[in-house]
Amino acid sequence: MFMRNVVRWETIPPREAQYAAYPEQLDQRLIPVLQKRGIHQLYSHQAHAVRSVLAGRDVVVVTPTASGKTMCYNLPVLSAILENEDARALYLFPTKALSADQVSELYELIEMMGVDIKTYTYDGDTPGAARRAVRQAGHIVVTNPDMLHSGILPHHTKWVKLFENLRYIVIDEIHTYRGVFGSNLANVLRRLIRLCDFYGSKPQFILCSATIANPQELAETLTGRPVELVDDNGAPMGARHFVFYNPPVVNRQLGIRRGVIPETRNITSMLLKNGIQTITFARSRLTVEVLTKYLKDLVRDPLGNAGRVRGYRGGYLPTERREIERGLRSGSIDAVVSTNALELGIDIGALDACVLCGYPGTIASAWQQAGRAGRRKGTSIVFYVASSAAIDQYIVAHPDYFLRQSPENALLNPDNLYILLSHFKCAAFELPFEDGDSFGNAPGTPELLEYLTDANIVRHVDGRYHWSAEDFPASEISLRSASAEENFMIIDTTNPQKHRVIGEMDRFTVPMLLHENAIYMHEAQQYQVEKLDFDACKAFIRRVDTGYYTDADLNVTLSLLDIEREDERSGVQRGLGEVRVSTLVTMFKKIKFDTHETLGFGHVRLPETDMHTTAMWWTLPDELAAKYDSDTLKNGMLGVTNLLRIVAPLSLMCAPQDVAVLYQVKSPITNKPTIILYDNCPGGVGLAHKAYGMQQLLLEQALQIVTDCSCPFGCPSCAGPMGEIGTTGKRTAWELLNELTR
Amino acid sequence: MNLRDKLKMLEKPKVKVNVQETVPAQPVFTDCWRTQATHAASDYPISRETVMLMQGDDMPADFAAERILYLDTETTGLAGAGTVAFEVGLGWQKGSTFHVKQLVMRDYPEEKFLLEEIVRIAEQFDVVCSFNGKTFDLPLLKNRFIMNRIRTDCLDKPHIDLLHIARRVWKLRLQRCNLTNLEEALLGIPRVDDLPGAQVPERFFSYLKTGDFTLLDDVLAHNEQDIVSLQNLLCHMCRMYENPEQLRFDEDVYSMGVALDRFRHTEEARRCYQLAGGSMHAASQSRLAQSYRRSGDKAAAVHIWQGMIARGEGGIQPFVELAKYYEHTARDYEAALDVVRKALIRLAEPALFENCAVQEARNALQYRYDRLKRKAGKPSR
Repeated sequence: MFMRNVVRWETIPPREAQYAAYPEQLDQRLIPVLQKRGIHQLYSHQAHAVRSVLAGRDVVVVTPTASGKTMCYNLPVLSAILENEDARALYLFPTKALSADQVSELYELIEMMGVDIKTYTYDGDTPGAARRAVRQAGHIVVTNPDMLHSGILPHHTKWVKLFENLRYIVIDEIHTYRGVFGSNLANVLRRLIRLCDFYGSKPQFILCSATIANPQELAETLTGRPVELVDDNGAPMGARHFVFYNPPVVNRQLGIRRGVIPETRNITSMLLKNGIQTITFARSRLTVEVLTKYLKDLVRDPLGNAGRVRGYRGGYLPTERREIERGLRSGSIDAVVSTNALELGIDIGALDACVLCGYPGTIASAWQQAGRAGRRKGTSIVFYVASSAAIDQYIVAHPDYFLRQSPENALLNPDNLYILLSHFKCAAFELPFEDGDSFGNAPGTPELLEYLTDANIVRHVDGRYHWSAEDFPASEISLRSASAEENFMIIDTTNPQKHRVIGEMDRFTVPMLLHENAIYMHEAQQYQVEKLDFDACKAFIRRVDTGYYTDADLNVTLSLLDIEREDERSGVQRGLGEVRVSTLVTMFKKIKFDTHETLGFGHVRLPETDMHTTAMWWTLPDELAAKYDSDTLKNGMLGVTNLLRIVAPLSLMCAPQDVAVLYQVKSPITNKPTIILYDNCPGGVGLAHKAYGMQQLLLEQALQIVTDCSCPFGCPSCAGPMGEIGTTGKRTAWELLNELTR
Repeated sequence: MNLRDKLKMLEKPKVKVNVQETVPAQPVFTDCWRTQATHAASDYPISRETVMLMQGDDMPADFAAERILYLDTETTGLAGAGTVAFEVGLGWQKGSTFHVKQLVMRDYPEEKFLLEEIVRIAEQFDVVCSFNGKTFDLPLLKNRFIMNRIRTDCLDKPHIDLLHIARRVWKLRLQRCNLTNLEEALLGIPRVDDLPGAQVPERFFSYLKTGDFTLLDDVLAHNEQDIVSLQNLLCHMCRMYENPEQLRFDEDVYSMGVALDRFRHTEEARRCYQLAGGSMHAASQSRLAQSYRRSGDKAAAVHIWQGMIARGEGGIQPFVELAKYYEHTARDYEAALDVVRKALIRLAEPALFENCAVQEARNALQYRYDRLKRKAGKPSR
């Protein structure tokens, strides 16, 4: 029965270790310590990285999970400090949790050497009294990009010792720095290097990345320098099985399959019953909570065994997360259900099995998540359970696309004007620009300075541009989203005597998950949002026990700011430009557990959020649109939109949430029926540009899918289910695409 | 669209500047602007011993009132490398005269000269006195030295920070311890037409924009007043520390006692506790007893606690202290039991203490009671 739904069972053979001798340039005091830890020789990629770094080159190391990549930077850094105790290094990790992990390993090495190398973590949790010591004496300062941006760079005069002696900048997990976050980091690094110039230091970069298509390009865009690629992975790996599972079709007419959540529950239960330690990845926080509840119910007994199943996602408090990570390492937790929060290199040990509940959106992500199962020796297994979402069905129908295709490019755009300008201001605050200066490799320094001068933010006198405003510009940007707004606190008011903060959430997600009357789930416990105080950034919730959960609907409107490029080919007009996208949550659905039927609706009253970004669009020729009545046209355009949503992430090699597609029957941009694709982040990271440059390719691929699909009236794997696009939608979409690509 | 046009489309950042006719200041850039004024110095003597009663910093052996440099800055913002001290006021006493020198940079290129002038003057003094300078003015000036590549330790001197002293002594009564409040409350000098500190950066930026130096008149007047106040305030503090009986408020006397205790000036602290009456009597007596207990004078402490109990002062705290003494020092379990029993009775008085700590206190007393019972060799109830 199970095997009938297995579309493909791929076995990846084990790989032998490749070793290399310790590089001669490495400080010899390190070697006995490594030998004491059982490391008698290095893996080939480690030796390569160490050799290149010690020869003075910037490197990016690309390796899968558990291949000993931390050695690639710890060894040269320790070696440098052993040789010159004034030398300093800066470590950047994308999250606090990761930095805590990596530092403990570093501590061990230093401890065993018995030398006085001080490693300090400097982040929002560092107590005020300790900060002075970190600034003065830390050889290795471990922090995150946010803290570097707002806590270190604007106060660089307090960090003279660090800046004067900075030898290495280590940035781990650089594949996470794509899109807005990456574009921000690239600018933070421009600022950092600018300050190093002021203090006379010339630091080298050591970067690490998980497997992506363009690690070198990403590293070079982030740092603005040529970077050497180290990807000759020499770490061993046990055999791995990759199972592609497609739930059975339950309604052929509508193309509906059994739900991905119940199927994932079954597979995970089977693993759990056989004592196989399993990690299950789900795409949304909501799915994590629903699955956690199901699995907890399965193992719940009077002995408290429900605790052997845990949920894990952003929004849990750090202490809770640390406890879960420890539980996974020690084996006291058998199963964890997580969002991509556990995708990063947080140390949870290697597990036996991994279940992907739905396609994580990118090949890189899928491999990262799958990498959580797999030991250096011994066998591991990964299940991919496809949902009825089109992209999932595409992957399960084309396993080779997944197995053979190189993973995505990480795109970022450091010259995104919004982001660049924000950091340029910070840079001007940190150190006056002088005539003829440039800002890293960013274009247009003179124009930016002219703009800031006109706005009375800097004052140009005697060849220098002095910061001349009261603002503290670093506080105006948040690196992870386009907004600098603070997170919302989630406050449990079940016990009126004792209000308790149980988590937090960013401003953009709040309207979706914390609107009033939403059912908010935390560790499978349901809460109802009683009050959302938007101004105070607080959500007040109370424990409830209901048979349903809620799902909010997002409304999107769009208006044109500027046309950058336009062209016309056989009657089809295309355009590229800047747009304003306004999103608004107006209502939510109540959905019953288990059956997933809709029980009712509710209204949401919340302010609209605005975003400026880059979009490209296709305009339908008048004579084509005139062929259809308005409903038919609408359904056809919706079909095309659905198809583009499938092909766009694949062709643009990005996550589905990074790019948005919508249609307008009478678009404010063109006054005609128009299909629009835009970068789903402020300012854009280049996806719309890339799509524009692909000419008709996206439309051709969409046509291919709708032509190949055997369903009669549309299904979730092509133009969309009949319930959504009607009986004519698929046919019309096919006709429209045929005309548009002619 | 080129970059210039795109920038034009962006929303103009909001900058608070009263834009008038743009008349740029005539740059000089060979020196900074300065002014000199004199005032009558406050005449109360400032002694090393008294200053050391007020705070923990060591003072130089050859301490002299004339070797104190009073310092206060006016800045373009609150923090970070881009914040500049565009005006620095310096003051010192010579005989019965108090000299104020104000340094202003008329534009950014003059900053270097301003800083060099500070170095030149500061080197002639042994001690710095400021209001919140430890946290604000000095770190900021050090930042500016670094930004201008001036290597100096001219400000690394013993420091008298009046804010910290004032907070310890007057916060309990005044709540807000800013300089204006203190001047009015302690020196009886209200400020008239004073420029609010928050408006200072804006004034400077407006001046830069217009070249109208008179925009800075208020800033300079405000700063001059601040400098003069520093010396007045320090003298007043010395007077009060030497003559606590002149403090008119019990809160202040009590707070001064606590402050003196903190730096281990036991005798001076006891003197304050003994002076403090009124609403602060109970708290002071309690502190006084603690002070005696710490120094081993148990009898004096017991005497105070008994007195407090007799007067019904300090809630159950003196009972607890007394019980501890009988239990651990005198090992008189019966006496201890007696005290605890009385405390429990007192807690039972209705509406005496209506807060949630009562339950906790009662439980703690009950626990102590049971332990004492065991120690006294009798079965627990």
